[in-house]
Amino acid sequence: MWKRDEAPRPPQPAAPTPAPAVPEPPARVEATRQPGRDLVNIGKSVVIKGELSASEDLTIEGQVEGKVDLRQNTLTIGTNARITAQVSAKVVIVMGRVHGNISATEKVDIRDNGSVDGDLSAPRVAIAEGAHFRGSIDMQQAKAGDSRPGAAAAAPHASAMPPATSVTPAASPVTPPAAPAKPPASVGAR
Amino acid sequence: MFWNTRKPSVAPPPAPAVPRAGEGLTRSKVFPKFLSALARQPNPVLLDLGPVVGPNVAFFGERLACKIIVEDVFATIERAAAAGERGSLSAALSSQFARESASVDGILCWDVFDYLDREAGRTLAVRLTALLRPGGALYGFFGTTDIELTHYSRVTFEAEDVLRVRTYPATPVRRTVLVTRDVNRMFEGLAVAESVLLKTSARECLFRKP
Repeated sequence: MWKRDEAPRPPQPAAPTPAPAVPEPPARVEATRQPGRDLVNIGKSVVIKGELSASEDLTIEGQVEGKVDLRQNTLTIGTNARITAQVSAKVVIVMGRVHGNISATEKVDIRDNGSVDGDLSAPRVAIAEGAHFRGSIDMQQAKAGDSRPGAAAAAPHASAMPPATSVTPAASPVTPPAAPAKPPASVGAR
Repeated sequence: MFWNTRKPSVAPPPAPAVPRAGEGLTRSKVFPKFLSALARQPNPVLLDLGPVVGPNVAFFGERLACKIIVEDVFATIERAAAAGERGSLSAALSSQFARESASVDGILCWDVFDYLDREAGRTLAVRLTALLRPGGALYGFFGTTDIELTHYSRVTFEAEDVLRVRTYPATPVRRTVLVTRDVNRMFEGLAVAESVLLKTSARECLFRKP
């Protein structure tokens, strides 16, 4: 009786019943892919003899004998890796075993379960407690080398090179790249 | 009515870490002089006979612009000791350093001679003397107490005159105690620049090559 003259309210819609819980699909983990950056993984069953070079970051868990060249990128030598090679990269992270010289234009990082027998040349060197190292460490030559013409840091690769001249996987075959500009995303047994 | 008078169980605080014998900080009067000798050389080459220590690499490599050569002689000693072949150390050490003579400006011996018998110690001393360039410096410790050694030492530089010593296990061996005369004879060809007896009863020595 004392109601004010109010505009009739539109009927309130019924509260939506909560949708039944739908299990979300499991998150797809693509650890090897980052926007704008491809990560290539060489599995622990892969054995490479020869020269391995690339213009993208690389993780090696297998065996490599010969030479590894990643002038503009980061090379991660995994805990299962056994490298008997000359290694060149922008950044080298060692968690496995390396027998050979390592040259980096930015940094060499030997983690606590890493082992290196060879010479290091890099402007910065970090060696964790527990790491094994035997050889020489030259931080000055690497710094001086940056200013020299034709230094490693100033030589970009146009595209990833195809894998080494010979690849001997122990368990799974290596899928050859369809074209030189498109290397496989991951190589090796899973 | 029963009040809950039980106090919540609280884990006892962890016991403070007890440093092992031989561990701790040591203030050195000799080590700064070794650094001065090294700093006088352009692009000095430093030979470290101990295990690689990350902070030391940064210290010598960045601050003193040294090229560092790591030859972990303690690992060689431990391998021989674990195999029961200490007698072969003399031959192993004579071939371990594949460098030409007079190619090194500084040598860090630490206390390696405590773990070597006299023959192996003499072999190593002769080799190190040959490796050192004229004007070069050799720094080391020589224990003076006849005890059984059960640990090796890993030394980190906290400052130019402060060393932090930590230990790691070793196959037990009786320390080879060398008196001053023995040490001087071993390093024939080098001149004793400094010799200081530390509170740990070790003698801290600096040798220079004329």
